Amino acid sequence: MSSLWKKLEDVPREVLYGLFLLAFIIPMLSPFGLPIPISADVRKWFATIDALPAGSTIMIDMGYSAGGEPELGPYAVAVTHHIFKKGKLKSIYMATSIDGVQLWETLMAEVKPEQYGAKYGTDYVHLGYMAGTETAMAKVGTGPMPSTDYKGNSIAQMPVMEGIKDATSFKLLICYTTGGDQSEGWVRQWVTPYKTPYLSCVLALMIPTMLPYYRAGQIVSLVSGATAGQYELLNKIPARGIKSADVISICHILIFAFVVLGNIAYYARKASEGSRKGG
Amino acid sequence: MSLFVRRQLPIAIVSITAILVMADYFFRIAATGPIVRDLQNWGIILSAFALGFGAVNLFIVHTRHISKQTSNQWPYSIWLLFMVALFAGVGVFIGPTSTQYMWIYNASYFALSATLYSSTGFYIASGCYRALRARNVQSVILLVVGGIALLRNAPMLAAGYPILIDIDGWVNSVPTTSAQRGIMIGAALGAIALGVRTMIGRETGFLGRRTEAER
Repeated sequence: MSSLWKKLEDVPREVLYGLFLLAFIIPMLSPFGLPIPISADVRKWFATIDALPAGSTIMIDMGYSAGGEPELGPYAVAVTHHIFKKGKLKSIYMATSIDGVQLWETLMAEVKPEQYGAKYGTDYVHLGYMAGTETAMAKVGTGPMPSTDYKGNSIAQMPVMEGIKDATSFKLLICYTTGGDQSEGWVRQWVTPYKTPYLSCVLALMIPTMLPYYRAGQIVSLVSGATAGQYELLNKIPARGIKSADVISICHILIFAFVVLGNIAYYARKASEGSRKGG
Repeated sequence: MSLFVRRQLPIAIVSITAILVMADYFFRIAATGPIVRDLQNWGIILSAFALGFGAVNLFIVHTRHISKQTSNQWPYSIWLLFMVALFAGVGVFIGPTSTQYMWIYNASYFALSATLYSSTGFYIASGCYRALRARNVQSVILLVVGGIALLRNAPMLAAGYPILIDIDGWVNSVPTTSAQRGIMIGAALGAIALGVRTMIGRETGFLGRRTEAER
């Protein structure tokens, strides 16, 4: 009996990986439609954008790298749909991540702003990648704005840039990021000096490091990219997030089941070894 | 080179720059504003230059590997330099958002980067199964908190048992935030101390290696 418990205590990683692979693939190919609760933080994020008056300008930082796209990309897509669907909002994008421009191209290809009647230069623009992270944030905050977009075209004549001088011209700041420099940097460079309302979307593992800012009221809403399915439900545009919510549910339950199994096997083995010694 | 040029001048530049930037951040002094804007521009240019410098350094290191035929390394070095040249060539001559560049980016870097990051999920799952075991009091605490986080983050369970959201919310708001605040305040105090020491010339690591006489 002891050897069986020992085996259950140390299931080979090949078996674990195989089971997790199935837990990823099956719901992706055939989503189960498991329930998804919408958290207060996601509702707050949605309500903040919904409450923006017509003509408001949003600064959006594409601060994530290609590795983080599967987690943050679906959330960015859902929010971008919301902004364009609401209409009459201006979006000015910049990238503090070196991949930010390429990932923005991917984002726009997925959202297709033209379906909402949004036009580049009129409703949205991308200022390009800016090196220096916090220095770049501070520079854009104090103004003047860069003179060209990510393709090197002059932005001075673009309607979207009308009246944009510095951080005070923005009603909202959004940052999707895989880096602590970006998520915390915006608090230091924009929220503290200019009181710009800030929405932050980070990797799930970064949430604990951002909580002190959130609890202090420096971030309006803090979410992980894994909550994209919730935003899609609010937005009524199902996409990658809802699909991955099933995977998240099943994988978390599977890990929990293995943790319980490991603990039962650990104590059962100890008990059987103890009784053998005692006997 | 005199001691002034090697030691006192760099410290003076760092101190004056730091004072100017800090004064502008906290007091928004009109007179120093344009100087600080220029300093910020320099910072951005230097950061961008560092990327280019990194690429040059990469070429030097890997060209050396290829010329020496370092075992288990030089074929990878050839591949690396080929990819750097390909990305740089297409980016510079056709454009970093051209269809061609985006195809190479999506088909190679994007796919590999996302796969590499996603694969950590398997290691974390295996790690959870092996590490979350009630061996002593500390590990029981870790097991309980880890169990709550696992259950709460399964949307299906959180929808069925909303109490999980409340418990997880308390764990996040109270123990996690307070511990994180302690870490952050400690790190910030350390950063302030390091900044002050650098400005007054007590911290001289950024000056590079010094001779005994200079110390």
